[in-house]
Amino acid sequence: MKKLLVILLALATVLASFACCFAAVSSVEKIDELDGKKIAVQTAVAYEDAVKDRIPKATWDYYTTPNDMILALESNKIDAYLIEEVGFAAQHYSHKELRRLDEAAGSIGFAITIGKGDNQNRLLLEVNKFIEESKASGLSKQMYDYWVTNWNPEECFYAIPDYDPKAEELRVAVEGAYEPFSFEVDGSLTGFDVEFVCRFCKEYGYRPVFEPIPFDQISPATENGKYNFGMNIVATDERTESSVLSEDYYSCDIVFVVEDVYDDGIGLLEKIGISFDKTFIKENRWKMFVEGTGVTILITLASLLFGTLLGFLVYLVCRHGNKFLNGVAGFFNWLIEGMPTVVLLMILFYVIFGSSKLSGTWISIIGFTLIFACCMFDMLCVGCGAISKGQIEASRALGYTDRESFFKIILPQAARHFLPIYKNDMVSLIKETSIVGYIAVRDLTKISDFVRSRTYEAFFALIATAIIYFVVEGVLSFVISRIQIKIDPKRRSKDKILDGIEQWD
Amino acid sequence: MIELKHLRKEFEDTTPLKDVNLTINDGDVIAVIGPSGTGKSTLLRCINLLEEPTSGEIIVNGEVINSKDCDINEVRKKMGMVFQSFNLFGHLTVIENIMNPQITLLGKGRQESYDKAMDLLHKVGLASKALNYPDELSGGQQQRIAIARTLAMDPDIILFDEPTSALDPSMIGEVQSVIGMLAKTGRTMVIVTHEMDFARKISNRVLFLDEGGIYEDGSPKQIFEHPQKPKTQTFINRLSSLEYAMNYEDFDIEQVAEDLQSYAEKHLIESERTSKVQLAVEGIVMNNLLEMDIEPKIIVRIVYSEKKDLLTLTILYSGQHWDINSSSNILFLSLLKEPTTEVMDERLEIPEDGCNNKIVINFKWQEVE
Repeated sequence: MKKLLVILLALATVLASFACCFAAVSSVEKIDELDGKKIAVQTAVAYEDAVKDRIPKATWDYYTTPNDMILALESNKIDAYLIEEVGFAAQHYSHKELRRLDEAAGSIGFAITIGKGDNQNRLLLEVNKFIEESKASGLSKQMYDYWVTNWNPEECFYAIPDYDPKAEELRVAVEGAYEPFSFEVDGSLTGFDVEFVCRFCKEYGYRPVFEPIPFDQISPATENGKYNFGMNIVATDERTESSVLSEDYYSCDIVFVVEDVYDDGIGLLEKIGISFDKTFIKENRWKMFVEGTGVTILITLASLLFGTLLGFLVYLVCRHGNKFLNGVAGFFNWLIEGMPTVVLLMILFYVIFGSSKLSGTWISIIGFTLIFACCMFDMLCVGCGAISKGQIEASRALGYTDRESFFKIILPQAARHFLPIYKNDMVSLIKETSIVGYIAVRDLTKISDFVRSRTYEAFFALIATAIIYFVVEGVLSFVISRIQIKIDPKRRSKDKILDGIEQWD
Repeated sequence: MIELKHLRKEFEDTTPLKDVNLTINDGDVIAVIGPSGTGKSTLLRCINLLEEPTSGEIIVNGEVINSKDCDINEVRKKMGMVFQSFNLFGHLTVIENIMNPQITLLGKGRQESYDKAMDLLHKVGLASKALNYPDELSGGQQQRIAIARTLAMDPDIILFDEPTSALDPSMIGEVQSVIGMLAKTGRTMVIVTHEMDFARKISNRVLFLDEGGIYEDGSPKQIFEHPQKPKTQTFINRLSSLEYAMNYEDFDIEQVAEDLQSYAEKHLIESERTSKVQLAVEGIVMNNLLEMDIEPKIIVRIVYSEKKDLLTLTILYSGQHWDINSSSNILFLSLLKEPTTEVMDERLEIPEDGCNNKIVINFKWQEVE
């Protein structure tokens, strides 16, 4: 009965929050009216510089994806947001209730950052030449019309052609969830940026490899050489100093977007049906969820396995209290546990493995292996420390070697102490893997970002993501609980205890 | 045969063993006694290297076991140890506690080690507990199983580290009788204990430890009945009685009260009687004898007889006789008149310990009516 009540309550909350997404109206018509209001802008685009003088009292909120800004606007967290006209066109297609202010806030040119490396100068020359040529030949205009002016998310698509596998690799950082520049259809990346880079590669004989990473990471990651091209960068004064930028490859106005009245005459239930269809059925998006879940499970299981082994090995080495080894282990433990997981991952991805071609998934596995090894090490320290010294002495006095004593007497008893902690740490590990999207891994959370960036709706994608995490956690916890029962010496049957004994009294 | 040569063990803040030389012959049953903190357990733990000696040699059957060439694990297989806190393996059943070391260390088969374990469990009277876990058993039962576990390895030598100290008085007997049984099998045994009666009955040699080494070494009869050296004498006497021999000025009533307290606890004497004794000592010694203007000797002796349940205070003093009934202490006088108190106050014809006056007060257990 209690459970039923909880479920009902949860359902009511969910429906209420769903309904809330369709509210609030703004009457703002002119840019000056926005002074003193709360305005959102995407991190690292620097659009706000263009209008800061006109509305000095406005407060600025920074969001990672354009999609988040729409959600923020609809849930009244902000009064307006600033976006390039192109982006708005894409958004308006799915969100008729959005309205742009007629007056443009400014015009912005977009460039490509060229990453550090031996080929930096050559790439810069080549890409500038390509931009110039395509402007002259009308290719730029043609692409802009296709992706922007006549934007239709149902139809616009560019398939990445095949390239000579021997051609020089060109690593390209794109947002990946940013219509119409880079986004996913049926699991394959497409968009204006993608087409532009692909055409460039065809012309100059490169083989492009696209990696979707958070927008605010594109510039720094490209600058330190992780990628050759970073797409869609606004050339601010500061940036021109610190990084190598191409000529603008397109330019457009930036506009303020506010919420307006729009009644599409569709009932709530119908709306739910449509958004379900958009989130899971259309373009086979459920497959992306499956794929993302697979990545999350892979990272979790691999880190669990390697982390457990690594933590165990380190403990075995440090067990005898060698001061030097313990000092080293203690230092790394302190370093890794003291750092936010996301910072650790980014350091691994951009600094330590900055120039290696190791994929984000492997780097996540390395990162979480280190983190879980620290947990495991601590668990063993606490668990084995809780076993009385008498147990060790008694076994040693009988003639057990140090190793036999540890594996046959200490560890089985310690396991009973630390397995419950192990289970908890494992659940936190699963949850923590949700940040691997920061280093271009398409895990479950990142997939839900991708889907949301296409549907411009949060509800089903987020709920489904949460449910999948619960299920994965539940299954793994169950497995550990079974192990816990299995290895609990006190739950063995008489037959098991007396295994191999023919006659007993 | 075990030989200890110039054995020294230092800890950070103390040096319990300064220079120990000892030869233990095969078949010896040795009781190690002495005040606490004199390194009895340390000595025992050095013999199987649970404590690494700071210097000196330990030679077992001709092999120097604290040298680097010696495989200590092989030595330990032939040298069992029984601990004060039993230390049975908590995750294993009783039968596995006895079986597993045989399987792991001696390479025996499961059936063979099971049979041996059951045989030993029958001997210590716990065959019915084979499938119980240690924490389901009483202390005495656990200790008997710990002994069985040690015996399963067929050791030549068994070390007992205060095997009954952690036990309820009611369980000491069962463990002692198992050890007593073992002592008759001809194994070499070294037992650290605080149970003097037990030590006397079981051993053929007693070591008294003090001053960082073996202070006195002798037969049980010698150590317990005729100790040769002063510290041994004091130790042995203190166990059965409290005795103070001193001048009037030195008499420390606080010390007496403190000793009386712990003596009473040890012999399970109820506190009413203890305070009566204290009152009597104060009444006689402090208030009266000490006020007399003389300089004689005084001996105070307190003895408890378990058989008669009688607590006896004996005070001997030299010089002029003093009648206790002439005391000015009213509380003391009323104590003397109580029905549970028996008083004897006499002048001795033949002086005892150089004193010619003797007061004996017996305190009986007060029956509840």
